[in-house]
Formats: sequence, C-alpha cells, structure tokens
Amino acid sequence: MNTYWNPNQKWLARVNPSLKFLTIAAIFMIYLFVHNFNVMLVSSFAFFIFYLFCNGFSKKLSFWLVAMTFILSVFSASAMVFFGKGTHMLFEWHLITISIESMTRGLHLGLRTFVYGMLGLIFASTTEPVPFFYSVMQQLRIPPKYAYSFLAAFRLIPIMIEEYRIIRAAMKVRGMSEEKGLRAFYRRMKRYAIILLAQAIRRAQRIAVAMEAKQFSMVKKRTYYYQIGFSRYDVLFTCLILLIIIGSWIFSSYVPLTPYNNVLERSY
Amino acid sequence: MMSLTNREAFGVTDLRLVFPKEKDLFLKDLTFQYHQGEKILFLGPSGCGKSTLLQVLSGLIPNSIEIPIKTKDSRIPKRCGIIFQDPETQFCMPYVDEEIAFVLENQQVPKDDMKDLIDQYLTAVGLKLNHRHQLISTLSGGMKQRLAVASVLALKPDVLFLDEPTALLDPKGTEDLWKTVQTISKDKTLIIVEHKIDHVIDFVDRIVLFNFNGQIIADGPKELIFNQYKSELRQYGIWHPGIWEETFPEEEILKLPQEVSTDPRLILKNFRAYRGKQVKFEVSQFQINKGEWVAIVGENGAGKSTFIEGMMDLIKTKGDRIWKVKNEKDDVSFLFQNPEYQFVTDSVEEEMAFGLVIRGGEEEEIQLKVNDALRLFNLDHVRHLHPFQLSIGQKRRLSVASSIIHKPSVILLDEPTFGQDARNTFSLLRQFETMREEGTTLIMVTHEEEIVHRLATRKIRIHNGRIKSDEKTKRGMQLEGVVT
Repeated sequence: MNTYWNPNQKWLARVNPSLKFLTIAAIFMIYLFVHNFNVMLVSSFAFFIFYLFCNGFSKKLSFWLVAMTFILSVFSASAMVFFGKGTHMLFEWHLITISIESMTRGLHLGLRTFVYGMLGLIFASTTEPVPFFYSVMQQLRIPPKYAYSFLAAFRLIPIMIEEYRIIRAAMKVRGMSEEKGLRAFYRRMKRYAIILLAQAIRRAQRIAVAMEAKQFSMVKKRTYYYQIGFSRYDVLFTCLILLIIIGSWIFSSYVPLTPYNNVLERSY
Repeated sequence: MMSLTNREAFGVTDLRLVFPKEKDLFLKDLTFQYHQGEKILFLGPSGCGKSTLLQVLSGLIPNSIEIPIKTKDSRIPKRCGIIFQDPETQFCMPYVDEEIAFVLENQQVPKDDMKDLIDQYLTAVGLKLNHRHQLISTLSGGMKQRLAVASVLALKPDVLFLDEPTALLDPKGTEDLWKTVQTISKDKTLIIVEHKIDHVIDFVDRIVLFNFNGQIIADGPKELIFNQYKSELRQYGIWHPGIWEETFPEEEILKLPQEVSTDPRLILKNFRAYRGKQVKFEVSQFQINKGEWVAIVGENGAGKSTFIEGMMDLIKTKGDRIWKVKNEKDDVSFLFQNPEYQFVTDSVEEEMAFGLVIRGGEEEEIQLKVNDALRLFNLDHVRHLHPFQLSIGQKRRLSVASSIIHKPSVILLDEPTFGQDARNTFSLLRQFETMREEGTTLIMVTHEEEIVHRLATRKIRIHNGRIKSDEKTKRGMQLEGVVT
C-alpha cells in the first residue's frame, strides 16, 4: 500500500493466506501448552530468524516493530519475574520478590509473547487484505458479505487518518487546543469522536448503498477475479514451520541450554 | 413526444414518500414518466427532492434505502447504473481493476473474460492508466468519478442515473466527466441531477424543473425551460450560463468602493512548508496587504492548501512568517473546505458564540452579537439545532459566521464555495466583499475562474510547490491606479 509495507516482494506472500492464517493460529494454540523453557528459548530464536529473513516490512519499520515487541515481552515477563511465587529466593525488597521459579516462569511468558509477536508480524507483513479475504471466501467458505465489508472498511482507514489530521488543525484554528485541564481534554476527545464517527457512519452507509447499486447480493453465487489456490510455497511454509517446532523440541532434549524443563514445577 | 410512445416507458405514478420520524409527506402524488433513449436533467433548489426521486426511479428506495413509499404504478428499469456525488464512497476495493472486477463478479462473469472487459471499460471512459492494477487512492476526484462510470458500465445499464456527480469536482474534472458521459451514453437513457449545468446542457434534451416543495413546475425541451423560467432558475440557485454576469456585472464591480492600502498584513521570507519531510511549498519573498482579495489558483496537488496551511502554522514550516496584526491568534481566521470539521459545540447558537466566549467578554454583549450574526446569516430559525443537522448551505454559512464573529483582520479560506449552489455562493461572496471593503484581507484558494476574474484583486498561480505567477487582476490594477 505504501513504501513501508510491500508484502508482495516476499515468497511468504504467495503462501495461501488461509493456510498461513490457520497455521499461525494453530501455533498460537500449541505454544500455550509448551512449558519447557528450553524449547521456548530455542523456538523464539528460530522464529526471530524466520521473521528476519521473511518479513515484508522495510528495515526501519521492522526495527521499530521488533523493538516494540521486545519491550512488550519484557513487560509481560516482568509481572511474573518480580511478583511471582517461589521458594528459591534470589532477591527480596518490599513487595518485589524474585525467585528462581518466578524468574524462569516470567522469562517463559516473555518469550511466549515474543513468539506471538513475531508470528503476528510475519503474517501482517506478508498478507494483503484482498488476497486474504478472497482466500477465506474460497477456502474457508466465509460468506462474501463479511469479506467485502472488511475490504470496504479497509478503504476507510486512510481517509479517517487524514480526517483526524484536519480536525486537529481545525481545533487549533478555533482555539480549542488552547484550553488546558481534564475537562478540556474530555471535550476535545468528545469532538473527535463525534466528528470521526459521524463521518464514518455516513461513509459506511453510502458505500453500502453503492455496493448494492452495483448488484452486490448477499445470496447470489459469484465468480472470482482472483482464484487463490495452493502452490509449492505452501509446502515450503508448512515444512519450515514444522521444522522449527519439532527441531526446537529435539534440540532442547539433546542439548538442554538450561535446567528448567518444566516451568510449572515448583522446585528444582 | 408521440414518436416516443413505442419505446419502453419507465417511471412512477402518484408517488408518496415520507421520511421516518417526519410528519409531512416529502413527496406528494408525484408523477414522472420517461422513455428509453431520453436524456433528462432534473433542476431545482437544494433539498427539493430531486435526488430522492432519482433514488426511487432507480429502485434504490425502497430496496437498499429503507424509506416507506407508496405508488399507484412504478416501473423501474431492470438494468440501471447509478453514479453518486462523493467520489470517496463509491468503491469497496483498493485497486482500480478490482473495483470493476467486483461488479463483474456480482454478475457471475467468468474469470477469464474479466481482464479484457476491465480494459474495455477503462478505455470507454478515457482512463489511461499505466496499469489497470493501480491504487484508487492515487486517482484525482475527477478520475475516481470516471472510474465510477466505468464500473457502472460493467452492469450494462439501459438507464444511467447521475446524482450530482460533479458537485465535488474541480472545473477540469467536471468537464472531463461530462465529456465521458456524453460519449458513452449515445444509445442510453440518462437521468441527471445537477446544479452546474454548463457542460450538461449540450447533450440533454428534456429538463424537469422542481420547486421548493418538490413539485414539478415545468417539464419540456431545454430551450423552452430556459426561455420561460429564467427567474426561477436564478431563484433556485441553479448555475446557468450568464449567471455571473447577471449577479456580479464586471462594470458594476469596478465601481464598488475600493479601500486602498499598502499596509502589509503578512510577510514571508525564505518560507518553506512541509508535508511530512518533503518541502511542498516554498517562496523566498512574499507580501500580502490590507484589504486585498488574493485568489490562489492551480492544479490539484500543486501546493495551494499547503501554502495557506503553512501561513496559518498548521503544518511544519521553516523561514520567516511575520503577521502584521495585533494578535495572530485573534486576528487571523481560517476556513476549512468541509465546514463540519470545525464545529466544536453541539448547537448553532453555541457555535456562533464560541469564538467570543474563549476570548472572554460580557455575556450580554456576546448574546447581542450572536443574535445579530444569526440574523445576518439567516440562521435564526435553526439556532437550537446541532450543526450537523443543517443543510449544506447552512453549514457553510455557520462556519463562515462563527469564524468572523470576532472580526479578524485576515481570513484564509480553502475553497469556501465548493459544492455550494449558486444562491449560497453569491450570498457568501457578497459577505466577503463587504468584509473586504471594511479592510479585511481575504486569502482564498479557489478553482472558480469567475471569482478570480470578477472579485479578486490579485491572482497567484501555484505550480509544483512554487509561485508561478503573481499578478494584479483588472480590479486590482484599478486599485493600484487609485494609489498613484
């Protein structure tokens, strides 16, 4: 859509979007049940490498997104590291108690967040909305009325961003941004909400009418401009994902990097 | 019309229509018939029901827009296409080819035929793109409307309905769109609602004239309507050839009182305005004086809006920007293209008072000023409504009134007459001229050549982010003559 994001350059863009979506959703589920810290450690590294080689973002944007994911992971880790229960104390200061157990569990959580972040970015950076929704209509049999509503909504996003810029300028011109304090802030927020929502609702209604005027119908059968199918990239993608998951299990069972094989266990 | 009777006829008989929550019928016992092949123009004041009738005739009401209607008889064409006013809200796909493909998919056209058909429709409307897979958001408003025509052609319509398709287009886009419509509609039926009739008039043959109450007061060949209903056309605010000369005769304007001054109001030196990190406008030396009416013209994307937004410090700028006024915040006002963006309160009355309240003032005095302004701008009867409930013309008047109530000495305007009918446009222009005579400086981005040529005193043409020419108009030259 713009210079920062060009999903089509990467081979991952050719993977069937529904397959990619379901695979990533499945990994989300699988990693909920991984309690082996070593496996988590190895696979987060593997997914990070996978992301580095296969994402569709520009280098600059990619850096900031990874940095943000990392910070998010540190946050989610810290909650458990600092305040979790455990018997092998490492550090104690008022409310903050760090034990070996809380430390490993916390880092485990942090790594899980990181893996989810990487997977999400891999999907987002290599999937365009149009092929994705065509694919879910064709492979997953999602009714066109939902798919096309999402597509129509995507068009509204840049319009709303531009609108936000204009409203901000308009408020400045009218002297709204001069006022200080919580009440003024509340009034400004209310203004933004009213104007943006009023415009968006009107636009959505107009688009809906225009779509019906073009004989879009909820029930009729339709043909498709893009036929989204499967290719060797799908095999490659599935194999790579399986390799990462199984590989990290095997690797950590032969070469355990840490002694923490189950973070749910109470003591070591 | 006898010769037409053997062709297929469409229309409604005794149409009654009421908007939800309204007491009175909006359209009452309206009958309108037309035949295949006719090219018809609906004219009438804003809000009289022309567009609503068009939506009934095309079947949008009540099929897609649920409004209760009652008719004795209604014949809606099976294959019809509709072009709407707003270029932004007619598409549901991001790319040009996908949008036309969407229409083809709806009709179950086989995939293999689509690419050829898409190219064929794009050629028919004269959209020459490097590639059919181009982002719609990169097209200009006029090109978007032609794309709308192309995608409607994919419906293979017998009847084309056009609901003010050029209201949001600049003059070039308007002209191109009508040329396109003319070429594609040779064997088609056309029903058009439009306020700007300069280009349409060449190829319609029947005009239907509505009054304020949504009744048809005349229906016949265009020559007849033009000759017999001149005063109605003016009264209803319809743009017709010669209307500018009738309203602002060139000779008369030159006789208007001219206040002359060489006091600078704004000085720019080595000025650059940015969009993001790119310089989108630059000028090394620039000055605007008291009482000038500066018209800023140029192509879309040339940097006109950037220029005035930069003057107002709404975007990032570098260089010197010196306002020679008492207080920049109070004495310089800015009017956005869409009035809705600058409404900050929940009623017309509060909106009008807002500018005075935040500057501090006696409550009674504010009340008096607000009442005066409401009367002057003919908004007295809607003072308790929410600004969003007003008509297009009322919104514009309110935005102008509320920006000038504290008497700024400079006003920057971004296409203030855009999308307004003739009546609203002229009453705004008269208001601006009165202010100018009182010494206010007007800086106005506009596409309307007539405003530049008749009312402005100075014309600045922007091209590629720079001032290409800066000259006094005839009116401005006369002003200069008075000085020396």
